Amino acid sequence: MKRTNEFAVGLAVLLALTVVVAGALWLSETDLNKQQVTAQARFRTVGGLGVGAPVTLRGVKVGRVEAIRLVANEWVETEFSLDRVVELPPKPAVISASASLFGEWSANIISYDPPPTDPNLREALAESDQVGGDAWPGATLPDIGQLTAQASRIAGDVGVVTQRISQAFDSTALKNMQQSVKDLAEISGRLVEFAGAQTTRIDRVSRNVATTSDAFAGVAQTFQGAVARLDTATSDNQLKDILNNGRASSADLRQAAGDLRSVMTAARENQASLIRVVQQADSLMTKIQRGNGTLGMLASDSTLYRETTATVIQFRELLTDIKANPKKYLKISVF
Amino acid sequence: MSPPVASRIAARDGFVAHIGRRSLETARALADVRTWSPLLMGQMRRLGVDSVPIALFIAVFTGIVLSLLSSYIFTGAVPLYFVGALVGKTVMMELGPVLTGMALAGRVGASIAAELGTMKVTEQVDALETLAYDRNAYLVVPRVLAATLMFPVVTALAMGVGITSGWITAVNLLDLSTPEFFKGLKLFYQFKDIWFGLLKSASFGAAVALMGCLRGLDAKSGAQGVGQSTTRAVVLGCEAILVLDAFWALVLL
Repeated sequence: MKRTNEFAVGLAVLLALTVVVAGALWLSETDLNKQQVTAQARFRTVGGLGVGAPVTLRGVKVGRVEAIRLVANEWVETEFSLDRVVELPPKPAVISASASLFGEWSANIISYDPPPTDPNLREALAESDQVGGDAWPGATLPDIGQLTAQASRIAGDVGVVTQRISQAFDSTALKNMQQSVKDLAEISGRLVEFAGAQTTRIDRVSRNVATTSDAFAGVAQTFQGAVARLDTATSDNQLKDILNNGRASSADLRQAAGDLRSVMTAARENQASLIRVVQQADSLMTKIQRGNGTLGMLASDSTLYRETTATVIQFRELLTDIKANPKKYLKISVF
Repeated sequence: MSPPVASRIAARDGFVAHIGRRSLETARALADVRTWSPLLMGQMRRLGVDSVPIALFIAVFTGIVLSLLSSYIFTGAVPLYFVGALVGKTVMMELGPVLTGMALAGRVGASIAAELGTMKVTEQVDALETLAYDRNAYLVVPRVLAATLMFPVVTALAMGVGITSGWITAVNLLDLSTPEFFKGLKLFYQFKDIWFGLLKSASFGAAVALMGCLRGLDAKSGAQGVGQSTTRAVVLGCEAILVLDAFWALVLL
């Protein structure tokens, strides 16, 4: 009986121990095969994040929060266990955020390079990153309670504004408003009359607009035809030929411009010589006009002319005399 | 103050003092190991192992009811995987220990009170003292120790069975898959959930056994007195469980 008691009690205790230990290990997802690594992140506040909360990377659960502790300088350090096989970003950061409306929070691993666009997050991560150390920078998004509180404050402000508006709209204001409405109705009636009177003119303007619109349509059609022809020309390579010819003409023009530049350079060089020649000629002409030198004397003194003319006359007379009396001037003897 | 009220308060003071005195005697009797140790295993078997079926029976239906009730409450308002969280937390921290304790208070407390009461009215307790046995070491300590040690064992098994029955119910009767149920179960789990429940159940065991022993050893007036002592032992055991439950919740949560 005693051994039976011992066996029964031992069996019950072993079963209970198995249930407790196995259940605790399974529920806490304890890593018995050491397939997980640990990492730390630093937050100013972790919000509703608690031990056991999931750690996600791009929305996929890759670990869990193992510990949360307060550390120096008003920081909160959080320890995670992560699957060893997960490839983390080169510079990871952690965002603690509400995962649902029912109090679930999760730690989301993101890449800190580049930092997130949200200015508050970026500032919080930068502050956490400045501390340095092995812990990753961390930031916390506001939870639904904070957002609700903010909405509540806004609702309160709206309520105050509404109350002030209701106070502003007292009986006098209401009467004024009623009068304004009546005035508005009267103005509306006048506007209706005016609109009735202007209907004919508006109709005419509308017709003109329609005519103009038709003209525009014709222009558009013509333009469309031109475009079509251009399209046809393009399809027959005519436009391409034109472009090629234009390109060749442009090359010829560039060549002609080059030649012209060469000619102009030579002309510029000759221009100096010409100027010199003109200057010398001018100087020479001046001397001649003044009667300096032989040519000047020839140009200004007629004596030479007369003497030359007398000499030519005498030379003619001499030739005539020689023709008439050759023996007088020519004496030919042999021996 | 009227005399009946005063006498009632005085009687209550006397009851509290009586409990304190008996507890001190039991604590002193712990030193007499040679007297109570041979009896411990038998009491553990009788109070603990033999109580497992009734505890598991209660746990099965607790899990079923919790699963269905939470589904009824959550539908349309909260995601259904929270059924797992509610079943796990409730069974581990509250209903597992308390319902098991209540059931065992009826079974164990009544058994102890009836046994010791009968021994008292038939003067077997006096005979033991005549034979130089310390009645606390021989009768009270093995029962209190056995209940303190075995209540957590029974409660642990009840927790496992309760959660399992809740899971089976959720999968078969509710629109909930196994991964969803386990997701909810693991969602807010902390190791404290388990040891909190086991610690409570140990205290419940000690209280239930102590109340049974006290009422049994105080039994008077023959069979009728034994019956009254048994009834009072069960009632006091249940009250002690509820008081301790509130106490641990205040202290540890």
